[in-house]
Amino acid sequence: MMERQTVTVSSLAIAFALFEVGSTTLFLIGAEANQDAWIAMSLAAAIGFVLLMLYMAIYRADPHRDLFALCRFYLGRWLGNAFGFSFAAYFAYEASRNLRDLAELTMLILLNRTPLFVLLTITVLVVANTARYGAKVLFYTCLVLLPMMAVSYLFLNIMFVSMNLIRFQNMLPVLENGWGPIWQAAVPRIVSFPFGQSVLFLVFFPLAKASFSRLRSAVYVSYAVIAVVLIFLNQVNILVLGTGIAKNSMVPLLESVQLIEFANVFERMDIFFVLVLFLGLGIKMAAFLIGATTGLHKVTGIGYKKCVPLIGGAVYALSFSSPNYVHHIWLGKVVTYWDPLFQIALPAILLIVIWARHSKKASVLKKSE
Amino acid sequence: MQEALSPSSLASALNQLRERMGNSSDFIVREFADGPSAPPRMAVCYLTELVDQEQLSLLLDSLVAETRSDDDDAERIEADLRTRIRVGNVRRVHSSDEILAAVLAGEAAILSDGVAGAIAASVQGAPKRSIEEPSSQTVVRGPKEGFTEDLNVNLAQIRRRIRSPDLRVEERLVGRYTQTRVSAVYIEGIARPEVVEELRRRLDAIDIDSVLESGYIEEFIQDKSFTPFPTIQNTERPDTIAAHLLEGHVAVLVDGTPFALVLPVTFFKFFLSSEDYYQRYDIVSLVRIIRFISFFVSLLLPSLYVAITTFQQEMLPTTMLISLAAQREGVPLPALMEALLMELTFEVIREAGIRMPRVIGPAISIVGALVLGQAAVQAGLVSGAMVIIVSFTAIASFVIPSIAMSAAIRLVRFGLMFLAGTFGLFGILAGLVPLLVHMASLESFGVPYLMPVAPLRFRNFKDLVIRVPWRLMKSRPAVIGSRNPTRQADYRDKTGGR
Repeated sequence: MMERQTVTVSSLAIAFALFEVGSTTLFLIGAEANQDAWIAMSLAAAIGFVLLMLYMAIYRADPHRDLFALCRFYLGRWLGNAFGFSFAAYFAYEASRNLRDLAELTMLILLNRTPLFVLLTITVLVVANTARYGAKVLFYTCLVLLPMMAVSYLFLNIMFVSMNLIRFQNMLPVLENGWGPIWQAAVPRIVSFPFGQSVLFLVFFPLAKASFSRLRSAVYVSYAVIAVVLIFLNQVNILVLGTGIAKNSMVPLLESVQLIEFANVFERMDIFFVLVLFLGLGIKMAAFLIGATTGLHKVTGIGYKKCVPLIGGAVYALSFSSPNYVHHIWLGKVVTYWDPLFQIALPAILLIVIWARHSKKASVLKKSE
Repeated sequence: MQEALSPSSLASALNQLRERMGNSSDFIVREFADGPSAPPRMAVCYLTELVDQEQLSLLLDSLVAETRSDDDDAERIEADLRTRIRVGNVRRVHSSDEILAAVLAGEAAILSDGVAGAIAASVQGAPKRSIEEPSSQTVVRGPKEGFTEDLNVNLAQIRRRIRSPDLRVEERLVGRYTQTRVSAVYIEGIARPEVVEELRRRLDAIDIDSVLESGYIEEFIQDKSFTPFPTIQNTERPDTIAAHLLEGHVAVLVDGTPFALVLPVTFFKFFLSSEDYYQRYDIVSLVRIIRFISFFVSLLLPSLYVAITTFQQEMLPTTMLISLAAQREGVPLPALMEALLMELTFEVIREAGIRMPRVIGPAISIVGALVLGQAAVQAGLVSGAMVIIVSFTAIASFVIPSIAMSAAIRLVRFGLMFLAGTFGLFGILAGLVPLLVHMASLESFGVPYLMPVAPLRFRNFKDLVIRVPWRLMKSRPAVIGSRNPTRQADYRDKTGGR
């Protein structure tokens, strides 16, 4: 990056929230748990919070270095760069998944006859352009988009309630098949998507110009609020559609939105609402892209702005890895089992090494005294 | 300082000046001699059209009455001159360049034999326009006087509004040929010193042959050139300038134009008018909401229409869809071409309306309204709905108080229409997102362009989309006026909790 950017805590916390929304509302999370998806999600959110505490512990141990600098400083040059590079690759892959999601969603709802590669190209250009400016501008953009997204989701739920579309019996019976399916849905699937993806913010935490405790409380509050919102939004699909339709629909939220209809004017609101989904997807993708670009920049030493087209091209190429959407979704499920490596294992190793090095240093200092 | 000069020195100095001015016919040298054949001992030089004749004759009177003192001491002569001259501002100039600069600025240079350099007396009196109502920013309620082309008149209008010794005016000359006076105006203790310092640095870096309007200065000192969005506000209203100065902004006034610059400004400032603070707050809040809606209408309406009628017809209610389809039945062009054509037509009419002589005005409106509107629809070239869309867009764009901002929207609108015509709503989003990101990256003298939304400054929300009553606006806007945050004492306390 050209100059060291600093961001305000409020913008970081809000970007964190919108990042978590990301593509989550696109899918029915915890479909295996049927009507108990909310329990599975709550469970996963709780585990995700533990992970967030792990990331916070890493940040607290050394608040001046981002993820890649930490790897390099504490794990040595070779191992650190390998760690950093794998993180960058992971972020790039996640960005490519979002890219494909966005383009497929466009094909599905808006432009059925436009070739997929055209949509992928436009999207990657728009998002890479955002990444070019760096994290600060992305976070500022999030601040502007927050009210729009919040109002849209709020409006949606008010409509659901006022049009009497919510059926609470869809949530019953609770724990029909016991804890088994819930546990299976939550670990590791829901933990790693969406909650565990907050590992990305290890790249962004050091940009904040505030005390650790302020940042921590802001991020924790943001996480708590957004977790509740996501659990609620996810469960609304089941409440409106019932488990059967919600599970088998490609984009259950849009399916629910289509049921809203009043005054003969507001119909097919899903078309407008898909734009709101785009914003979430785009923010998440841009954040991952910035993370991956920062990684490549830090690991190889190539200038940040030069890394943007490199990572953008890689993400673009990766987004073609599935021949169709069904395969893309399936691949997503397979890859999820690898996510804990980046979200839990590597950060945990990093934290242990940092602590070990710190205690060693402390003991050396003590001895010298 | 120097020894007594020979009698020829004054003559040679005058000759040198005449030569430098190329013997221009308006360069007057009035010589005073003791007798008919004696060499001149004193001379007054000025440009005849730049001086006020009354002041000049006052000056000449005081000089004629002078009798030559016996001693030739230069300092005595000078002190004597200074006390005699009966005009306001007198200063000492040394080199011939300085003498010329003074003469070109409308001063009279008094050269005396035996005195090096000259004394410049300000007798300026160039013709000037009287103060009139500003033509580009009119208000219903509020002061009706605007800036003129004369810098002194403009500064006087600001000084009259802010009678505080803390109001600072810093002047410099910019332009190798034009030597235009450019003044930075700010209030010490409210304006951020970093902004003032940065402005000084940027103004000093300008080296151009001419400055004929504040637009020259604006383009030099703005943070980023390649952006459609203005990052410096311009106004011809002294009350607007005064209000901005009191909020911690800095103004730049340029001689020769009624348009003064205000900086730093954020995006939202372009939607505010000085009248917002003179009218009742509740009405103003409504008007401001209308302005922001108009912003989105003028930016997006044609693109949304094109996108929805071309790609997403299913969004329209059935009855509306049928009526639109019936209208478009005979239209030969696709919606995108139709919209572009109509927008282009409107831009042509608008441009013609600005340039043409006033008397032809009605003719253009007849041609515009009847021929291009009604007849085009009847001939089946464009649909009626499109005419409505384009006219509403045009009217909405005039609601935005700043012309610079509505010009930016015009530019962006065409791009969005193209995207809407090719990729529908997806295209519009693909155009808006880079635009938003670009705006988030802009800065005006170190102040983020989208403040107070990004970064968040809740304090400034009191005067953004809505305006709260004056008695609740106790503090100046954050960041810009943060040096001296308190604007007023608590009114309720002073009136006994009323």
